[in-house]
Amino acid sequence: MRPGVDDIRTLVAGAGVAVEAEDALLGVVARVAPHDAIDALSAFRTGGYESLVDFDGTDTGEAIELTWRLRSYSMDCEAYLKTTVPYDAEIHSAWNVYPSALMPERETAELLGLRLAGHPNPKRLFTTDGIPPLLRKDVAIRSEEEVKNR
Amino acid sequence: MSDARDDIVTVGLPAEGTHDPGTPPAGIGRAPTGVDDLATEHLIVNMGPQHPSTHGVLRMLVELDGEEIKNAEVTLGYLHRGIEKLAEHRRFDAIGTLMDRGDYVSGIMGETAVALAVEQLMEIEVPRRAQWIRVMMAEINRIATHLLWYGTMGLDTGAMGPFLYAMRDRESLLDILEAVSGARMMFNYVRPGGVVADLPVGIDTKIREFCNAFDTYVEEHDAILSGNEIFQARLNGIGVIDAEKALAFGLTGPNLRAAGVDFDLRKTRPYDAYPEMEFDVPLGATGDAMDRFSVRMEEMRQSNRIIRQCIEGMPEGEHTAKVPKVLRPPAGEVYASVESARGEVGIHLVTDGGTSPYRMHYHGPSLYALQALEDIIPGHLIADGCVMIGSTDIMLGEVDR
Repeated sequence: MRPGVDDIRTLVAGAGVAVEAEDALLGVVARVAPHDAIDALSAFRTGGYESLVDFDGTDTGEAIELTWRLRSYSMDCEAYLKTTVPYDAEIHSAWNVYPSALMPERETAELLGLRLAGHPNPKRLFTTDGIPPLLRKDVAIRSEEEVKNR
Repeated sequence: MSDARDDIVTVGLPAEGTHDPGTPPAGIGRAPTGVDDLATEHLIVNMGPQHPSTHGVLRMLVELDGEEIKNAEVTLGYLHRGIEKLAEHRRFDAIGTLMDRGDYVSGIMGETAVALAVEQLMEIEVPRRAQWIRVMMAEINRIATHLLWYGTMGLDTGAMGPFLYAMRDRESLLDILEAVSGARMMFNYVRPGGVVADLPVGIDTKIREFCNAFDTYVEEHDAILSGNEIFQARLNGIGVIDAEKALAFGLTGPNLRAAGVDFDLRKTRPYDAYPEMEFDVPLGATGDAMDRFSVRMEEMRQSNRIIRQCIEGMPEGEHTAKVPKVLRPPAGEVYASVESARGEVGIHLVTDGGTSPYRMHYHGPSLYALQALEDIIPGHLIADGCVMIGSTDIMLGEVDR
């Protein structure tokens, strides 16, 4: 189910955050600046969105777009929060607001090459030191050399 | 003879706060203060990734005080294959093969999530027969998955017999899945637009026979374990994840419903033919391991009910919509999710108009269950920790991806 776009805009703006909201194919999406993301998540939390059910990032080719998927069981709806951060940026952990962010944040930071601040255990989750951020577009599955030698 | 002897020390408890055992002599580490004050040394023990009760390649570091777990940390990555990255190099109809290797016991559900995402982007209308086949296959797969969990849950608590009975029934289901899809685990059966092939002739009889037999078998399964006093003692009140904690850690599926939260995507966000199916959603009360057990047992009964409805009311028609050989969805972004055996499997698909995803994020419920486990295991005995891991039914294939 989708909440109203105006409801989401009001909810996030109520925390003193500049927000753009739209009803997209994905769902109702609120976009905020990176430094406002935690405040926006807190607004969602107090506004009845009890659970963060997913968090991931996308390398757009110019920056990393982060997407939080939030669900309200009491209102039976889902909303999305998005922000765009530069490559190698430091993002602040949202685990104090939503504990379910603990591991997905580690995963996203590792696979997209971000730094985690305020996280209780900011270790790599899947790969070992020295492995590049695999979900970046400039990291290929095979190097040109390997392709030539196949 | 003197009454007082200065070579005899009075034996007895000293006054509170005045006791000082003094400095131990050389070679003695500490004063032997006796059993009551014995301070045990904490040990950090490595469980897994090859431990039989960690259900796959989960590695858990546990800090122990004797038998009691003081702290637990999950260490992942032993099965990381880069499924999300690989998906960026696969055609849309070939991503199902990767999903089969994510949650490799519930492949049909993972394939369905990808198919739904592509269909949403391309506005493909799936024929009614294909939707019914998908639902039937998913529910067959759900029982097969729950049976594997049921058998290993018994093993975790020291019961060997139930595993053998569970494998007997699971074998029948894998035979059916193989007859329909051609594979026993890596199905690659659900494709955008429908399913890859229609049901084979005579499969309805085989499925009907299973449904009838399973009505009796599921009651036997339930009685063997839940009727066992030892099993009850091992599960009752252990590993409580109440509704508040379940929501905080983002749990979905049976683990969430065991905490009493009425949320099943098949009912609340119905997809395929689920709106046409009649079934109940079992809920727990306290969210302990026994509730998680009971919810899954009841889910098997309900899945059997759905399969029977599918086989009796299977509509005629095409098994797939007419879709191009090479799928090229328009640029966009969608999120599709299905109710898998372990919870919500979600696909966040970003496309750029090409023949492969620009980005595909695969959300599995087990990663979130592991976070909750890190929180609830401390304070329990190590044997109870094994029960908790088993009762949350984690799948490392979809955790590591």
